[in-house]
Amino acid sequence: MKLLLLPALVVLAVFAAALAALFRWSLLEFVPGSLQTGGLTLANLRGVLAPQYLGAIRDTVVLSALTTVLTLVAAYPVAYALARTPSRRVRSAILVLTLAPFFTGAIVRTYAWVLVLGNTVLAWPVPMLFTERGVLVGLVHFSMPTMILVLAAALSHIDPVYERAAASLGASPARVFRRVTLPLSMPGIVSGGLIVFAWTLSAFPTPELLGGGRVKMIANVVKDLGLDSFNWPGAAAFAMLALALTLALLTALGRLAAGRPS
Amino acid sequence: MRSRLMVTMLLALLMVPLVPPARAQNALVVSIWGGNWKDTVDKVVGRPFTARTGIPVEYEVGGTIDRLAKARVAKGSPLVDLNFTTTHVARLYISDGLYDKLDLAKLPNSKEIAREAFRSDFHIGSWAYVYTVVYRPDLVKEDITKWSDLWKPALKGKLALPDFDPSHIITIAALMEGGNEVNWQKGEARLKQLKDSVAAFYSTDAQSQDLMKTGQGPVQVMLSVNAYHLQEQGIAVKVVQPTDYPGVVGIDTVAVMAGTKQADAAHQFINLALSRDIQSELVRTLRVGPVNAGATVPASLKGQPGIFLSPAEWKERGYIMNDEARAKNLPGWREWFTANVVKK
Amino acid sequence: MIARLAVVALLAFMTVPTVVVIAVSFNPTAILSFPPSGLSLRWYANVVAYPQFRRAAVNSLLVTAAAAALALPAGTLAALALERGRLRGRSVWAAMLLSPLVVPGVAAGLGFLILAAGLGLLRSRSVLVAAHVALVLPFVVRSVWVSVRNLDPVLERAAASLGATPWRVFRRVTLPLLRPGLFAGLLFAVVVSLNEFVVSLFISNRVTEILPVAMFTYVVNYTDPTIAALSSLFIVVTFLVVWLADRYLNLAGVFLRP
Repeated sequence: MKLLLLPALVVLAVFAAALAALFRWSLLEFVPGSLQTGGLTLANLRGVLAPQYLGAIRDTVVLSALTTVLTLVAAYPVAYALARTPSRRVRSAILVLTLAPFFTGAIVRTYAWVLVLGNTVLAWPVPMLFTERGVLVGLVHFSMPTMILVLAAALSHIDPVYERAAASLGASPARVFRRVTLPLSMPGIVSGGLIVFAWTLSAFPTPELLGGGRVKMIANVVKDLGLDSFNWPGAAAFAMLALALTLALLTALGRLAAGRPS
Repeated sequence: MRSRLMVTMLLALLMVPLVPPARAQNALVVSIWGGNWKDTVDKVVGRPFTARTGIPVEYEVGGTIDRLAKARVAKGSPLVDLNFTTTHVARLYISDGLYDKLDLAKLPNSKEIAREAFRSDFHIGSWAYVYTVVYRPDLVKEDITKWSDLWKPALKGKLALPDFDPSHIITIAALMEGGNEVNWQKGEARLKQLKDSVAAFYSTDAQSQDLMKTGQGPVQVMLSVNAYHLQEQGIAVKVVQPTDYPGVVGIDTVAVMAGTKQADAAHQFINLALSRDIQSELVRTLRVGPVNAGATVPASLKGQPGIFLSPAEWKERGYIMNDEARAKNLPGWREWFTANVVKK
Repeated sequence: MIARLAVVALLAFMTVPTVVVIAVSFNPTAILSFPPSGLSLRWYANVVAYPQFRRAAVNSLLVTAAAAALALPAGTLAALALERGRLRGRSVWAAMLLSPLVVPGVAAGLGFLILAAGLGLLRSRSVLVAAHVALVLPFVVRSVWVSVRNLDPVLERAAASLGATPWRVFRRVTLPLLRPGLFAGLLFAVVVSLNEFVVSLFISNRVTEILPVAMFTYVVNYTDPTIAALSSLFIVVTFLVVWLADRYLNLAGVFLRP
């Protein structure tokens, strides 16, 4: 039976080899201007903690957290409508509008925001393009479909009987929501939030095209170091940091989710 | 049998990675900046070249540093045959062993090229321009006539600068403090003052033009050619001839990649690009200063910033940086600039 | 009432950029303006004429086909092993199989770049295929696993007891019953691979690059609305596919409990 796993494991082995190469290079000395490297060194990892890079890390975590919260708030009503609407046509409409952007790809969606935020549609009162505001808008838009689907799936698992029972006992709609629906949908909220947070940590196209060189997230720094400055050891160190950060946050949040009574 | 069919299909699909990536037979691949740069060179040089030799031309487009990084990765078996870049970044290509020496015997038109355009054994100038102050009078009510105007408080949040090559603003700031590109540290404090003025940074000509078009970066240290291109598209921009310090001269160069299998075709292309007629056409359409001493500059363009009558004018109407110093300092400049000006 | 308005507003937020892109794609000039100053198809013509898009589209199809062809069998077998294999530490194996989902794209991209450069493989598409298979595998495993879980082993035992060989049981009973999961897995594999950008950005070059990378290069190096035209084509095709899938394949059933 284990043999059945073999083809998949071969694929994963190649993937692991790529990550191993990354790890190894994060420890090699950078020789500027070439692909030659010196010996083993911790200089790259230390360099990662330089003030300009710490700023990018901090910005990434803050932006990701804000994105997660805003997406949750924005996606919940739509997810609720999707899960609860009796009309098949409304459900189809919401589903199509939610899924279609999901399938059009990162460049198409981000480019669309370059147009909208860049004074093409209307002159914004405050600058939107190439600011953190603009990047945040792009990130929220990007995460909406995922969050909507996860929340809708969770909400559809809640038997409406509970809500009706609470209402019949005299609770106002707001109270029903707060005391019944919201707690029961918590697993969906947590896993949706988890997914969006983890994804946003390594977001690349949105800050790259909407950030104007000023808003840099971790992924942009890796690209700058790796593809522009040609500093593969430095880029590798930073990428390792991104990986470690993602894993650490996911593990911590996963434990938090597991500890919750369902 | 269906399973045999499936197995065959599967095997066929597994052969896919072995299908060699398509590259037109004998095509000459030219590495150049995108947008109007590639379009103009294609129209003025590329198509006549193909008409004359029957060799099709392909282009790899990208920013200056972008293409250098790609060339480094492909070292030894280049994906391009011929490379356009700036004269000082070319020295980085040279020190990495990415260029082959030019065979002047295969470049008869080089006899008409001014002395100043011969940058090294490996690279030769193709045209020149300036980086200067460009702005949109409809969006910026300030009168901008000199470099030091960029530091005006009224321009906070309106400036856009190149992030791939900060040499121009670094040099100007140094000149303002009595230094130059060699002892540029004198201008550090000045440069840090610019931080809040910057709205965005651009890494390619296209992004620079976009910022001006949309008004996101209505004041820029901009390449003259890009400014003129915007004017042609109906965007009213003012190209300043600064009164305190001249515009910074930029010289683009062309060279043959080491390891190319199309060295002859590459030399033919370069030779064509250096010819009197083609150079005159480049002046007219790209709005650059020629390197061929016999090229004509139309009367309507004479005197405009960046459109030099000949390389002899480079020193008179612009500030020329020392190539080697510039190349040596560039990596350090980029790092310092990123840490002190780009980072918010 | 407010809730209904909120939902409409949010759906509008999700859709407005799409509308703008399509409108801008018809601009007769290279200036991006909205509403468009006229109606012109020149940028659509440019999409077709620009040779790099053609090359990139071919690369996309080849890489995606190869990745799907490799990931589907590997993922199906893995899903069977996970559900039926009575493996010790099953959750560990599952986590490993789903792990590429957690790795940041830039980390995987840079890692593959370093690996391929060291092996001298950067000029061929095999690096792209290797990366795409790994990135797509978790989706296949997840989709097929759902189907495997819903598979009643009784059917397979019945076929075996009637004298069918294990291979025949697999081909004639198991696989057909897994069709929903296989189809979903294939769909996800194709969509994820066709749209894959970050990892591919690191490991492509001008000759091997796939369509999203070619589009990114264009956006950064040109200032005309050609990408708006190409995006519009993407958007229209995707909307059609999703709408059809919803109409005929009960998409809602895939995501929600009926």
